[in-house]
Amino acid sequence: MPPMLPDFSNSVKLKYVKLGYHYLVDHIITLMLVPVMVGIVVEIVRLGPDELLNLWNSVHFDLIQVLCSSFSVIFIATVYFMSKPRCIYLVDYACYKPPVTCRVPFATFMEHSRLILSNNPKSVEFQMRILERSGLGEETCLPPAIHYIPPKPTMEAARGEAEVVIFSAMDSLFEKTGLKPKDIDILIVNCSLFSPTPSLSAMVINKYKLRSNIKSFNLSGMGCSAGLISIDLARDLLQVHPNSNAVVVSTEIITPNYYQGKERAMLLPNCLFRMGGAAILLSNRNSERWRAKYRLVHVVRTHKGADDKAYRCVFEEEDKEGKVGINLSKDLMAIAGEALKSNITTIGPLVLPASEQLLFLLTLIGRKIFNPKWKPYIPDFKMAFEHFCIHAGGRAVIDELQKNLQLSAEHVEASRMTLHKFGNTSSSSLWYEMNYIESKGRMKKGDRIWQIAFGSGFKCNSAVWKCNRTIKTPTGGPWDDCIDRYPVHIPEVVKL
Amino acid sequence: MELFTLLLTIPILYVFFLLWKWVNDLRDQQCYILDYQCYKPSDDRMVGTKFCGEVIKRNKNLGLNEYKFLLKAIVSSGIGEQTYAPRIMFDGREECPKLEDGISEMDEFLHDSIGKVLSRAGISPQEIDVLVVNVSMLAAVPSLSSRIVNHYKMRPDIKSFDLTGMGCSASLISLDIIRNVFKSYKNKFALLVTSESLSMNWYTGNDRSMILANCLFRSGGCAILLTNNKALKHQAMFKLKCLVRTHHGAKDESYSVCTQKEDDQGRMGFHLSKNLPKAATRCFVDNLKVITPKILPVRELLRFMAVSVVKKWKQRCGSVPKGAPEGPIKAGVKFKSGVDHFCIHTGGKAVIDGMGVSLELSEYDLEPARMTLHRYGNTSASSLWYVLAYMEAKKRLKKGHKVLMISFGSGFKCNSCVWEVVRDLDDGNVWKDEIERYPPKTLLNPYMEKYGWIQDEDLSTFKVPDEI
Repeated sequence: MPPMLPDFSNSVKLKYVKLGYHYLVDHIITLMLVPVMVGIVVEIVRLGPDELLNLWNSVHFDLIQVLCSSFSVIFIATVYFMSKPRCIYLVDYACYKPPVTCRVPFATFMEHSRLILSNNPKSVEFQMRILERSGLGEETCLPPAIHYIPPKPTMEAARGEAEVVIFSAMDSLFEKTGLKPKDIDILIVNCSLFSPTPSLSAMVINKYKLRSNIKSFNLSGMGCSAGLISIDLARDLLQVHPNSNAVVVSTEIITPNYYQGKERAMLLPNCLFRMGGAAILLSNRNSERWRAKYRLVHVVRTHKGADDKAYRCVFEEEDKEGKVGINLSKDLMAIAGEALKSNITTIGPLVLPASEQLLFLLTLIGRKIFNPKWKPYIPDFKMAFEHFCIHAGGRAVIDELQKNLQLSAEHVEASRMTLHKFGNTSSSSLWYEMNYIESKGRMKKGDRIWQIAFGSGFKCNSAVWKCNRTIKTPTGGPWDDCIDRYPVHIPEVVKL
Repeated sequence: MELFTLLLTIPILYVFFLLWKWVNDLRDQQCYILDYQCYKPSDDRMVGTKFCGEVIKRNKNLGLNEYKFLLKAIVSSGIGEQTYAPRIMFDGREECPKLEDGISEMDEFLHDSIGKVLSRAGISPQEIDVLVVNVSMLAAVPSLSSRIVNHYKMRPDIKSFDLTGMGCSASLISLDIIRNVFKSYKNKFALLVTSESLSMNWYTGNDRSMILANCLFRSGGCAILLTNNKALKHQAMFKLKCLVRTHHGAKDESYSVCTQKEDDQGRMGFHLSKNLPKAATRCFVDNLKVITPKILPVRELLRFMAVSVVKKWKQRCGSVPKGAPEGPIKAGVKFKSGVDHFCIHTGGKAVIDGMGVSLELSEYDLEPARMTLHRYGNTSASSLWYVLAYMEAKKRLKKGHKVLMISFGSGFKCNSCVWEVVRDLDDGNVWKDEIERYPPKTLLNPYMEKYGWIQDEDLSTFKVPDEI
């Protein structure tokens, strides 16, 4: 017993030392001011009240000088406030909740798979193994056209899915925020694999009769990270246009992209991608400051397309029979890790507290000068953020990021549960995760959230939000009726 | 007190410094075109009316009526004998395209134009900060912007955007993105890549409203290099003065004018409705209402206001009958007073003629658009840049001149912008080797006589001739 006790007390002392160090470095400026203030107070007390009164009376102020100084102070203040970049607020957002009729439990999925791929038992078995380890649950949804055997991916059906998903999300957004369609100044729609003419943005404008001088943009092909690219574009536009509202619609339309061949690497997306969509209202109006949920702090985009391996890792191509599907390469995890490192290198200095940055710098110098064998210091991002929304790309992605960023199970719970309940809904998954955290009542004022998404190309994009007000439950989102059942334990392998 | 006044000068100097910085930043927000390169496909991709006839003939789904209709359309479209088609047409495989056909069509264009524009301007691909690609009818994974980033090894912190589905007016929408990004960031280079993918979009059915789209679009594209670095002001070619976008999607008739849908047999194609000219005119008028005050001198605006007030007064008095005028609406404003050159989207002969009447333009003004339609056909979003290149090759663009670009797109959109020419321009671009031949003596299709007979043939005795 005695030998163990010193170790325990040692580790406790270390913990307090660490805490003390962090506190010291983070608040160093305040701490330096303390002796100055103490000095001033001591001096004032020493002088005594009479002396102070004499000092005050001896200072003569001319009227003109008073006016000049107050004028210049006001002027400086105005110029300072005008030159600050505008604050971008996220007023609210709405996620699409698919109807129960669209659910695809494992049994349904495997039955369809067996019937469609009846000539390829190996492919069926591959799909089963993927599904067992995928981290998906029994309540994920596919659009109606895919429920047919074989699936019927007509343009009509694809448009139908787009209308249902986007219009439901937009209706819900209008209801939650009280926004009138005529008040929308900027509209950005991103859907990676479906781009009809007229565009989906034109479809939204037509349905809700939006204004004719609206700035609409339709982004596509940009993968699962397109949601954050749209937020980046909205931010750039809102910096230039004062007093504006921007609506961002992120979705992925599954109907036209369901792979109908038998190539294994291309069957993988079929197992993971599910129906989903989100509509987000961003604004730079001052009146929204009070009811906005979040404020956008940073958006950082990293594009690894220059590296050929990264570029080829998510690739749409035709298989031997001419059927179009998305090929996911085996190095996807490694490349995602690399892209994340690049992104972190840029975002680290923007969000990490001074103490972490100092440690990182010291270890970097140490490695360069003293001994290259020192372990690289991985900054503790848990000090910079309270919540993490990792794109629910698949179980492997979440595991990899949890390991890389040294996150606890609670931090990645939102991502895992979203993957379980909704599947990989591509660019909108981040919003389902955000809603999970809110529905659990964990979102408090001042909390910082980090959204990370990966996409084809290969891109890694992050957005940092700060919570503007404590969010009350229920939130009116897709988790409302089932949040009490979560979190569920997701086994490594679900036996099918 | 002298100490006090001395102390006061510091914040005052700081204020002046901030003001100067603010004004300086405003000047940095201008959008300049450094260079642009239109795409000229290789000569083995040239098609003429004869080839079009052959393509129509080999389409088993088209009967005699469709044959007549299409030939009539092609012959009277104003499209000449030297336009370019995608390679898939020459292989005869347009009815069963593969994804790699679409991608390789784009690759040919990207590697050609982007390489040329970057090397001519002396900018390396790693200096590009913003990349916007707009190709309406192809959405690939990874996106075309990622393709470009990969091929040219661009930087990881590039801002890339890929717009699709926005029709023939998409290049001005991409320009809108670049213009807005330039206002927030200083000293950036942007690359705007605009084109259209034709390989994957051939309509294999026989619905009249959909087969027309097959015959009118041609291959083309443009890569444009822009910057907001005012140090490069003297090398720049154009400066953007204003950009106006109008979207009539809220009106159902305008929205359904051009839609991609399946016909009764389930074949995918582009449906062009008969209301297209009317929707286009309405949208154009709305767009003009916004852009005209921005570009015309005050003198002309006052004159127009006076004239319209008088007209309204006369209408009220009953001396001039009310009623909507039929056909293209005359704007009544002298655009020539504020704009020197007009870049009209080469949507077709009817579009150009309609614009000519609405804006009261002479043949000299419409010549660039007509010649572009004749030489390159309707290249969709990139057509405006070919028209601009024609004007440059004809040495019409002098310093201080203003160029108005107007384009239309599905949805229904009308976008327009005004460029100011920064210095005298005389490089030929794609028109370099042949500008002397333009304008030709006649734009009439040489096969008009050959196919003219088709109007009079009796259906019951008609046989498709072997020799066309």
